[in-house]
Amino acid sequence: MTITEALKIGKTAPREVPLFSVCLACGFTPLHVRTFLTAHLQELFHDRRVQVSTGLYGDLAGAIENAAAEQTAEPWDGMVVALEWPDLDPRLGYRGSGAWKLDTPADVVNEAQAILSRIGAAILRLRSGIRVAVSLPTVPLPPLFHTPQWQASQAELLLQRDVLDFAYRMAESGRATIVNSLHLAEQSAPAARFDLKSDLLAGLPYTIPHADVLARFLARALVPALPKKGIISDLDDTLWRGIVGEVGVEGIGWDLAGHAQLHGLYQKLLSSLAGEGVLIGIASKNDPSVVSRAFARSDLLLHPELVFPMEVHWNAKSGSVQRILETWNIAADSVIFVDDSPMELSEVATAHPGIECIRFPGDDPVAAFAMLRRIRDLCGRERISRDDTIRVESIRQGIAFRSQAKDESSLESFLQQVKAAIVFDESAGLTSRVLELVNKTNQFNLNGIRYTPADWERAISKPGALVLAVNYEDKFGPLGTISVIHGNIAGIVLHIHTWVLSCRAFTRRIEYQCLKTLFELSGAAAMEFDFRCTAKNGPVQDFFAGLLKDRPVNSSTLRLTRAQFEEKCPMLYQEVRVIRGAEVNG
Amino acid sequence: MDDTKKRLIGCFELVFPDLPESEIPSASQASVAAWDSVAAITMVNVLEDEFHLEIDFDILADLDSFERILAYLETEVRAA
Repeated sequence: MTITEALKIGKTAPREVPLFSVCLACGFTPLHVRTFLTAHLQELFHDRRVQVSTGLYGDLAGAIENAAAEQTAEPWDGMVVALEWPDLDPRLGYRGSGAWKLDTPADVVNEAQAILSRIGAAILRLRSGIRVAVSLPTVPLPPLFHTPQWQASQAELLLQRDVLDFAYRMAESGRATIVNSLHLAEQSAPAARFDLKSDLLAGLPYTIPHADVLARFLARALVPALPKKGIISDLDDTLWRGIVGEVGVEGIGWDLAGHAQLHGLYQKLLSSLAGEGVLIGIASKNDPSVVSRAFARSDLLLHPELVFPMEVHWNAKSGSVQRILETWNIAADSVIFVDDSPMELSEVATAHPGIECIRFPGDDPVAAFAMLRRIRDLCGRERISRDDTIRVESIRQGIAFRSQAKDESSLESFLQQVKAAIVFDESAGLTSRVLELVNKTNQFNLNGIRYTPADWERAISKPGALVLAVNYEDKFGPLGTISVIHGNIAGIVLHIHTWVLSCRAFTRRIEYQCLKTLFELSGAAAMEFDFRCTAKNGPVQDFFAGLLKDRPVNSSTLRLTRAQFEEKCPMLYQEVRVIRGAEVNG
Repeated sequence: MDDTKKRLIGCFELVFPDLPESEIPSASQASVAAWDSVAAITMVNVLEDEFHLEIDFDILADLDSFERILAYLETEVRAA
């Protein structure tokens, strides 16, 4: 991106939309970093206008400390910290007049430790709704150390260790996302980053291309993309090398000995992703009995229990993908399809717009390396929750549940004996899983409104606010956190602003239990819902159509009295427990 | 209006989005409050992008008005 392109993006940003306000904390003149950061963030938003403000020049630690102290007055959604060596001690820069003496390196190390402690403490004091992205020093240390440049001095190693310790503490705390310095070096060569002339004349130590790349990384760290939820893979010449129907179960391979290590690496990646909660399905034109025997091989690196479902037959793959998406109950744009055949990729892409199609590149290691990293980038997530790790199992359980529940005549007795237990947790409003569920649920979503962490924190901190995280378990196993409700009580009316329910939890009457418990907890005589019709929230429209006289249309406030609800509510058999927290603010 | 002048006005619109177009031809560092050192550097970079030039920071102080920038650009464009 050029400066001109970045300015144009900023100029054409939508005006009549909410702000996404970011504080850029850096010790140098922000100049192009600010321009590029604004542009890269703006590219991530269609419904927000990005505004980047800057802190104190030359005092990074002070800028973050001020932000931490004044945060109640600042409406920031995020903070970006672009750390450089002079922020840790001015003698590590070129603009100061501090002397470089024999004992300077040791003194600099001590000073740097103290500053890093201040910065870390200030970041931890920032309001929890403010996301923080941090880049570690990117330009070279000055030649003040006694060693030649090809030898690392002890002081340099200590500085690097202290910076990494700081970064680790921030990442471990969950309060900051750290830019990956190694990956940054792939995109912005270290030797092409520093501009001494610009540093001396303008106070910006970066070349323009480096300012652009660094700002892009910081923007991604601050506003991470939603990860893909599932991967649908082909088998022959993709998951393994060879066509199993021709070479037989023992003829396929995925290891070095069989010159098929790229397939083994792919299996390892899928196995790793499955463990993190990414759904793995198979779409293959094959003989099911042969594939079944192949999956019985004990040396397979992707264990069969991690794969669900498998569509193995001779029909079109677009149909297989359709059935897998229905089983997972997710949209095509949340899924990657991997196949070695361009024709199959094209057929699936045509039938499922939005699906990410990736060609398995055969025996080309360079292309395979790029593919593996691309899949990791598309599926990568900041942290893994318990809900992620039980996802595939809960989908299997959902299939078993629905299969047993589909007989209408025996539904009541079935629901009675599934031993369902629901926990309404009033203390979990600020957990990352709650906001993640709110932002990624499409189908049973009251209005489709997405929140930044700062928006969410502000919303649930208002006087009278109530937020419930709903956990479900039955004899088929736990589903984890499957619903979030946020509202506020005004007199005898409970106003619901947010309500999402995971599609994994449908058909269990959990939505009815949510309303019943809300009426009981709040003592309200009626509820009002901030409903908005979206392209995908048909299930929530169906639910309200069953409760109210008419099907809801467009954007409107839906009113439901306790009497109306009780008249329509079916028998509920779940055992309910409420974890009290800061249930009502104010 | 000649091409260089038109393109320079476009550069000013980008760097000073709040400056009315009618005031651009008479704009100078003295008359535009937003024309600080940061804006001056940004302007140089935008000019470099637009006119495919390399402008040395050393002449930054001379490029302090629309008129002077236009004169500089016309010289550079002719020389190229």
